[in-house]
Amino acid sequence: MREPSGAGPDDRVPSLAWTTIRRTFAIGWRYLAIGTALSLILALALLGSARHGTAFVTTFPLEVPLFAVLGSMGGLMTFTSDRTKGVFEYLIAYGIRSRTLFIDGLVSTAAMVAIILGLSLAVGLGAAGADRVALNENLWKSLSLYTVPMSFAGALFTAAVGMIWSSVSTPRTGINSPIGIAPMVGIAPTVLVLIVAESVPFSEFYYVTAGSAGAIVAAVVGLLAVSARLMGRERFLSPL
Amino acid sequence: MRSSGAIAAQPSGLADGRPRHRIELRAVSSGYHGKRVLEDVSFVIEDPSIYVVLGPNGAGKTTLFRTIAGILEPYSGTVTIDGLDIGRHEARTRLQYLSHIDGIPDGLRVEEALRFYATVQGATDREVDKVVRLLGIEELRDRYFSVLSQGQKKRVSIARVFFHERGIYLLDEPTSNLDPKLAREIRDLVLALSKDDLVLYSSHNLFEAKEIGKYVLALRGGKIGYFGLLSELRPSRYVIGIRADGAEGLLPSSSKKGDYYLQELAGPQDVPKLVEELIAKGIRIREVKEMENPLEDLFS
Repeated sequence: MREPSGAGPDDRVPSLAWTTIRRTFAIGWRYLAIGTALSLILALALLGSARHGTAFVTTFPLEVPLFAVLGSMGGLMTFTSDRTKGVFEYLIAYGIRSRTLFIDGLVSTAAMVAIILGLSLAVGLGAAGADRVALNENLWKSLSLYTVPMSFAGALFTAAVGMIWSSVSTPRTGINSPIGIAPMVGIAPTVLVLIVAESVPFSEFYYVTAGSAGAIVAAVVGLLAVSARLMGRERFLSPL
Repeated sequence: MRSSGAIAAQPSGLADGRPRHRIELRAVSSGYHGKRVLEDVSFVIEDPSIYVVLGPNGAGKTTLFRTIAGILEPYSGTVTIDGLDIGRHEARTRLQYLSHIDGIPDGLRVEEALRFYATVQGATDREVDKVVRLLGIEELRDRYFSVLSQGQKKRVSIARVFFHERGIYLLDEPTSNLDPKLAREIRDLVLALSKDDLVLYSSHNLFEAKEIGKYVLALRGGKIGYFGLLSELRPSRYVIGIRADGAEGLLPSSSKKGDYYLQELAGPQDVPKLVEELIAKGIRIREVKEMENPLEDLFS
């Protein structure tokens, strides 16, 4: 009977998660820099506007997830590059499971999101505090129940879709490749959640956003678990 | 020729006390996306030698290597290393695999790339340093892999295979895309490092195969076309080339290839008689050599 792809040799192979994060940082630093810079520019632009207090509190938390999705593309880029360059062929030969390759891609994506969020929130909130903007309860609620969870959920969704898509397709480069299209796909959930949340009473707004983020993350995990199990290992080999 | 089969059983240990390794494939079918490239392949390998894997493009050489290495899961049949299923970690730690693709991650310097693979294999810094010295790539350590020449890339790529003594080496076209001089250098290097081990070595170069191989495993259409000792392989035609002075008019110039007059004989046993006849005719023979490579028949 055929062994599931997600299975394989046991877990005595050292984890490459930390190495993958460092490599993702090296490969995707431009995206990381652009995502972080855009969110900081947004924060400063909002604080510099005529209605700076209200504008910052209402707009800043809603926009940051978009930049987090964009800035964390390094995770997907590393995954796709490793597949094309034949790195996965060696890793699988050394006993690393296909499931682990996906997980490392997600972990490195999450690490990039954490960097963007850390910098954006620290600088944005710091600047707002210095500008004497009232950091009220609604702002904290928005950040904790929409910005942070949706940043991770949106970025992980992007990475998951991109990894699966690039695994089942012939590698292409440029904007017409999974990497080129993935950010647009990844931004969709963050926008859709906002649209849905706006249609419910305000008291339920954050239940919808936080719940949706949780559902997206669960979907990502489920999607990858199923993919790793159903996808043959040949999907991870370079076509070169 | 044997259409398939197994090398005769060997004693269980080597004279120097090292464990004898064994690769066994039983009725293995394997391929990509449901399409079978290898079909019902069975063999046992345990004599520590170089087994040259030959076959035309698409015959299944890379698929065979990937299946033995545990990269591809067989659709049917079993692959065992020293009696252990290749799906087990213990089995994988007994072999080293070199793909025809470099497999070096993007954006890394040589040092970082080697450390990356050392991490995966659980190799120490000392083991990495040792291999770097062995392969003479010390001066490349701080350079980006992407800017290296083909030969330098190949050396770095090979380095990771020798972090640990594994006993079984699967080398998929290690000299492909290299010029002849560099190919020889890389080949000699690889063979020196894997001396006395069990080596599967795929190549398109028949002369290289004849030079280094003890056994030949020829694939044809995803099946084993021949598996046996290279020395037992005989060409369908036995042709010798004679380089000689004073042979004009005595040997047919129509069969001349370069400096050599070609003569087809029934077999090597007829060579001394022919040489005697030519000398008796006053021809000064400078060289006699076999012109046909028996391995060519495996490709036809």
